[in-house]
Amino acid sequence: MALAVAKEPRGTGRRRAGGPARLPYLLISPAVLLMLGFLAYPMISVLYYSLRHYNVTKPWRNGFAGLDNFSALLADDLFWQSLVFSAQWVGTEVALQLALGLALALIVNQTFVGRGISRALVFSPWAVSGVLTTTIWMLLYNPSTGVSRYLADAGIGSYGTSVLSDPGTVFWAAVLAELWRGVPFFAILILADLQSIPRDLYEAASVDGAGRLRQFLHITLPHLKDAIVLSTLLRAVWEFNNVDLLYTLTGGGPAGATTTLPLYVANTGIHGHDFGYASALTTVAFVILLFCSILYLRLSKFGGDRS
Amino acid sequence: MTTAHRSRRPEPRPRRAIRPAAAVALTAVLALTASACGNSGDAAGGEGDGKGTVEFWDNNGGVRTPVWKKIIAAFEKKHPDIDVKYVPVPITEVQSKYDTAIAGGGLPDVGGVKTADLANMVAQGALEPVGDRIEDGPLKGRLSPGMVASVRAAGGEGDEMFSVPTSANQSVLWYRTDLFEKAGLDAPDDWETFYEAAEKLTDAGDNKFGFTLRGGAGSVAQALDMMYAQSGVGTFWKGGKTTVNAPENVEALEKYAGLYKKATPAADLNNDFTKMVAQFGSGDIGMLLHNLGSYPDHVKAFGKDRIAGIPLPPSADGAPRTIPSNPVDGLGLFRSSDNKAAAWKFIAFAASHEMNSLWNEEAGAIPARTDAAGDAWVEDAAPVKAAMESLNDPETKIVQLPYELPDWNHISKAGTEPDFQKLLLGEMTAQEFADKLAGLLNEARAEWNEQREK
Repeated sequence: MALAVAKEPRGTGRRRAGGPARLPYLLISPAVLLMLGFLAYPMISVLYYSLRHYNVTKPWRNGFAGLDNFSALLADDLFWQSLVFSAQWVGTEVALQLALGLALALIVNQTFVGRGISRALVFSPWAVSGVLTTTIWMLLYNPSTGVSRYLADAGIGSYGTSVLSDPGTVFWAAVLAELWRGVPFFAILILADLQSIPRDLYEAASVDGAGRLRQFLHITLPHLKDAIVLSTLLRAVWEFNNVDLLYTLTGGGPAGATTTLPLYVANTGIHGHDFGYASALTTVAFVILLFCSILYLRLSKFGGDRS
Repeated sequence: MTTAHRSRRPEPRPRRAIRPAAAVALTAVLALTASACGNSGDAAGGEGDGKGTVEFWDNNGGVRTPVWKKIIAAFEKKHPDIDVKYVPVPITEVQSKYDTAIAGGGLPDVGGVKTADLANMVAQGALEPVGDRIEDGPLKGRLSPGMVASVRAAGGEGDEMFSVPTSANQSVLWYRTDLFEKAGLDAPDDWETFYEAAEKLTDAGDNKFGFTLRGGAGSVAQALDMMYAQSGVGTFWKGGKTTVNAPENVEALEKYAGLYKKATPAADLNNDFTKMVAQFGSGDIGMLLHNLGSYPDHVKAFGKDRIAGIPLPPSADGAPRTIPSNPVDGLGLFRSSDNKAAAWKFIAFAASHEMNSLWNEEAGAIPARTDAAGDAWVEDAAPVKAAMESLNDPETKIVQLPYELPDWNHISKAGTEPDFQKLLLGEMTAQEFADKLAGLLNEARAEWNEQREK
């Protein structure tokens, strides 16, 4: 090692930057600063406020709360309702997006005329912003100008109705809108992984007499495992934290029927001004997500030996 | 040698090498802490030299931007040494934008503030009292006494005023004169005719409805209008408790909610004012309850001849009208402003006769200036004139809604709007809804009174 140091040319960047030991710290310092500013500080801040009564319109109530906010949420029906709905929303969305995304990826991975256009069409919803997605679907669901109006003109259903105003249909209406946006995410990730599977594996399986189903189960799926685990985990976290689509499409309604936990947090903090309680709700949501993510990665043995 | 080198455990780094990184991190944390604590909304500010830049937040940006640009241009022409920085804030985001700025700094010098938001901002110490400035300047005696009373009540600090009122609104029963004529119906100026018309104008199979109601954002405020106007109950509080769940109000609420699906589209469950007004403008719907602000939309959709607007009918023949107070819009001067003298010049200019008249004409609202009430445009705008007359009628009972309660906004909006949807869906009775609303209001008032006594 001493020989290597002695051979190092003079005037290298390492010397100019103030010595070899400092350079790595300087190089990672922007990332560290960003993480401190945009991750650590907000997280510590939320944790701090979760232990306080903090309502900007009632300054007389503000002060140390200990675990009061946490004990209050255990007895809060709206918290439990929104948590149950969040679980239902995440489970349905991720399962359907995965199934449809996988199917689409398998289709556009085949060789056929118009494959390029088909791929572009499949992936295009992912390029549309959340607000635009909501606007598109709100127009489709609009009682005066949307699909229901044309169906009523054709004698199907009634005038002045919207799937978003019926508690029996609003869930699936919102699921459909989010599927449109979410399916391409899975399709893109899975297609990228599909293309890395060596063709000779399929040829060898074919020679051994394996049909398409067996090839899919024993070659394709095992190869896709890591991509599926990672994408479902990411999507589950995103769907759990989904605010934009539900907030603008349903506002959490009607009658609270589509209120997820993050929407409840937004209502409590923004409209109710109760930032202490909203922080406690956020902390609990964070712990739940963290626990579920760790459990999921352990159970799925993510990154383990494929053999 | 290379292999041996790689397998060797790295030597501990010298301590001084860690110091720069630690120092950078510590500085960053301190900087973040310092920025988080800086320039909060209750900082005292100063008068300044009456020149320079005045930042103004419009609380209904977009919709009112053109008229504010005209007012600002006229002001800057008159005061060339003052620049007004105009910031349009959408009405749906203004509350959170103010709250964020109060907590973290960055408030403007002047901002649009409605009485519905006043209590929150006064409680946070964000607004400068303006009573003395009004008394000492050209605005003295020129502002509508009713609006001044509303601003004083909403501030919750006795007679002190925390905004200069500029306009008021009122709920109006808009109806399609062409549809009424075709059906041989009289104008809905009593409740019997209203309900009869709602039923007769409905033919759901042919996409015709008698009424469209607000079931989404803002639904509770509209329901209160309908309840008090029908019941004739003239006060919001009686014996320290709210009258929201008085039997007359519950009965009125039941009748009003009974219109849902019977005389309205089912989709009304999600209606905020935008959807409601758009739906009214694009279909064959006989009546709509909304404030004066939607008048230009109706004229655009139907022309002046096919639309009319009247105040909500009195509770019974010969009885006075009962009108829940609508929020009064105004301009607030922020305590944190370092340029209050120039900011006040802008407020006084915007509240002058000419500018106040211009603003209200374009907004279709009731001007706060008493000397603007007789302007020609008011005579031409029949719904505005009718609203002003009903408000100024000494017989009219104005039910003062409790804007002074810091919880009022939350209780009357996100806190109970999902329950109103349950009421429309039949998952809750009118009595249960009114009792829940009353419970929340009584609790909020008790807490507010307790704090004021301390």
